[in-house]
Amino acid sequence: MSELGLALSMEQISKRFPGTLAVDGVDFSVYAGEVHALIGENGAGKSTLMKILAGSFNDYSGTIRINDRPVDLHTPAAAKAYGIQMIHQELSLAPPLSLAENLLAGRLPRKWGFVLDRKAMHAESRRWLERVGLDLDGDTIVEDISQHEAQLVEIAKALANHPCILVMDEPTSALSRQEVQRLFEIIRRLRRQGLAIVYISHHLDEVLEIADRVTVLRDGRKVATHEIRDVSASQLVELMVGRSVSALYAERSTRPAEVRLEVRRASRYGFFHDVSFKLRGGEILGVGGLSGSGRSELARSLCGIDPLEEGAVLLDGRDITPADYRQSIAAGMVYLSEDRKSQGLALRMSVAENVLSSVIPRQSRTGFYSARSGRSLVRALVGSLEIHPADPARMASTLSGGNQQKALLAKWLATKPEVLILDEPTRGVDVAAKVVIHQAIAALADAGKCVLLISSDLPELVGLSDRVMILRQGKRIGQIDRERCSEAAVLLAANGEGEFVQS
Amino acid sequence: MSELSAPDIDARAQRKNRLFELVSVLGVWALVMLLFASGCVISPKFLTARNLMSAAQAVSLLGIVCMGLAFVTYSRHYVDLSIPGIMALSGAMAISALPYGFAASLAVGMATGLAIGLVNGLVVGYLRLNPIIWTLAMVSVLAGLIRWAYGGLQVYPDEATAAGRAFLNLYHVKLVSLADGRIELPLIVGLLAVLAAAAHVVMRWTSYGAQLKLTGSAYEVARLTGVNVRRVVATAFVVSAATSALAGILLTSFNKVAAFYIGRGYDFEAITAVVLGGMALAGGRGSIAGVIGGVVAVALLNNVLSLVKVDDFVIGEFAKRVIQGCVFIVVVGLHSWALRRTGMDDA
Repeated sequence: MSELGLALSMEQISKRFPGTLAVDGVDFSVYAGEVHALIGENGAGKSTLMKILAGSFNDYSGTIRINDRPVDLHTPAAAKAYGIQMIHQELSLAPPLSLAENLLAGRLPRKWGFVLDRKAMHAESRRWLERVGLDLDGDTIVEDISQHEAQLVEIAKALANHPCILVMDEPTSALSRQEVQRLFEIIRRLRRQGLAIVYISHHLDEVLEIADRVTVLRDGRKVATHEIRDVSASQLVELMVGRSVSALYAERSTRPAEVRLEVRRASRYGFFHDVSFKLRGGEILGVGGLSGSGRSELARSLCGIDPLEEGAVLLDGRDITPADYRQSIAAGMVYLSEDRKSQGLALRMSVAENVLSSVIPRQSRTGFYSARSGRSLVRALVGSLEIHPADPARMASTLSGGNQQKALLAKWLATKPEVLILDEPTRGVDVAAKVVIHQAIAALADAGKCVLLISSDLPELVGLSDRVMILRQGKRIGQIDRERCSEAAVLLAANGEGEFVQS
Repeated sequence: MSELSAPDIDARAQRKNRLFELVSVLGVWALVMLLFASGCVISPKFLTARNLMSAAQAVSLLGIVCMGLAFVTYSRHYVDLSIPGIMALSGAMAISALPYGFAASLAVGMATGLAIGLVNGLVVGYLRLNPIIWTLAMVSVLAGLIRWAYGGLQVYPDEATAAGRAFLNLYHVKLVSLADGRIELPLIVGLLAVLAAAAHVVMRWTSYGAQLKLTGSAYEVARLTGVNVRRVVATAFVVSAATSALAGILLTSFNKVAAFYIGRGYDFEAITAVVLGGMALAGGRGSIAGVIGGVVAVALLNNVLSLVKVDDFVIGEFAKRVIQGCVFIVVVGLHSWALRRTGMDDA
């Protein structure tokens, strides 16, 4: 492996939150010149472990050694001083500033004590940008560069702080395939230079390609650490999940039924164009496509959150083309938003208040409203969706991600929808919650309702949908029926290739 | 995650949260007690019927303003800074309309406030301008408008007419008078009681209240839940303007004169009372019962300060303002600190 020795060694690390032991006696080490992948389902403790490394907590237990020296990482400043740099999924660049200002923030070169040395700024930022293979000018404004370039600038910014340990959290989430390859080249180069790299990702193929070793976490504990050449993707999945995955998607019996929802030539110019489809009662229609293909935009316009510039929406033959979202909800078409924290749940309110928030107008025909009248409804939903803890008075923010997502689903199930549009219904959710959510979606369809499922989780999209419609650059380019639907087929079609694309 | 691995810690966190909520409601009433006790100690004049009556009337005026402002704060739009302007203009308009009768005067005064509230509501609620900046501009415009319309003159109600006398008497009307006038219930105290009850019912028992709470807690979530967030916020500003107009008319009646400076200071006193009463600037938290506590605390503070004598020198307006400012800073600071400690600030 590496003759350079351990750059980082974490021994018996634990971190307790109210109600959970998020990290439980984990050992984790990285050699200099090694890429060590850290994988696990959401909520397995990856991000908590890395937050400990970043100095976010002053109350973890266990020993951390950096270059064989025991250290206390109780503040972010301490972590930085020991050469630990993080690159997060969410970019941390200030959009209105130039690349140079972002890269050299806090230590901008000056002359005569106070005047910015533009020339030095330019030269130095240029140097760091070249190191990540970017041919950009330091004066470029962050707003003007692409997501992928921003990701690389983020890495350059971390490198500019001379790290010895670099943590990359889902660095490829916004990148295309070619861009991922470019990123990997840079990672390999950094590895040769002796940097210790922690690589967190959900994409097992990436992990298998770039990592030297892999550590799997589950429920806050370390399950295993392996040399990458000793493991396969399916082994990793089993380690992560703790059981076989095939049980996840039960076969649904689909019965032919009447067309209930019809969307005719829907357009919102610049987002999606001329999209038509029909949805039968009891059918789950998947919407596949790359990010930026207009999937969420289509969903939001169909139910009136964003404007629908052309086209019509018909439910059971009745025109329900909405002017605003309230009309759509009244007509029985609801949208489960993709970002539960900022768009889905009011985190400071209780589970019951959140669940009932979607039915306030319905429960108060006279203007008077009491949450009490919905108590049995909330209890039934909390029970059927196995929301844990099963306490409707609990503040939503104290729930785990999976239970928050269940609460969000409960909020929209409370409206007794005829058409349920789901946008990434299980993003950032643990496996157990995923199963419950999938069962609830299937049950809704079995009751004769229509489900439109948008998901980037390909196994979910393929496993749950009766049909998958493919969007690309805002246009409907084809569809795949259940018999021939596979992850590969969806991915290929989403890229505009393969047999299912109709020109 | 292993949620049940530490039930003891879980229960403790829950208790801590509940304790925090309890303290923020009871705390303000404890402060009220403390102020009351210190008032009794500081001056023999404090515990007299006369002083307590004037304290109650001061409480009522501030309280009426706060009942409306609470809606704005609850909706997470912080504060309506146009309150003093609304109070002054409503009072002036009410006096101007006195020649057409007492009822017309009240109607015109209230209509003035509602009109300004509608503009605030449209601009902040629908056009989404920053509420602080907009209402700050509004108060400046209103003050200018009064000076321009009345030429900087003070406007007096005409005592020769019945309407004028009724207007001047408005502030002093007693609803109930028992035991030869020793126990009295002034009209404005009764008004506050009715408004407080109404505000409480609206916030807790109506669909508007539920939607307001959702909007104040998480604006974007409310929007994506089908709440008409623009109208909800606009309504809060209209309510705030309406109560300010009412308070403005009453204050004008008390002062016997309308002028652009009437209502000055009510903006800051009101937001101090609202926040002191546990209605956080972060929105969606607190209750009318707490706000009433905040109002009583602020009014008592003023009353006690006005009785304090240091070497025969009565603490004046300036000290009052310094102390009010400090109270506001301490309360807001403590609140943010407590929220951060319990980990609720980012939630």
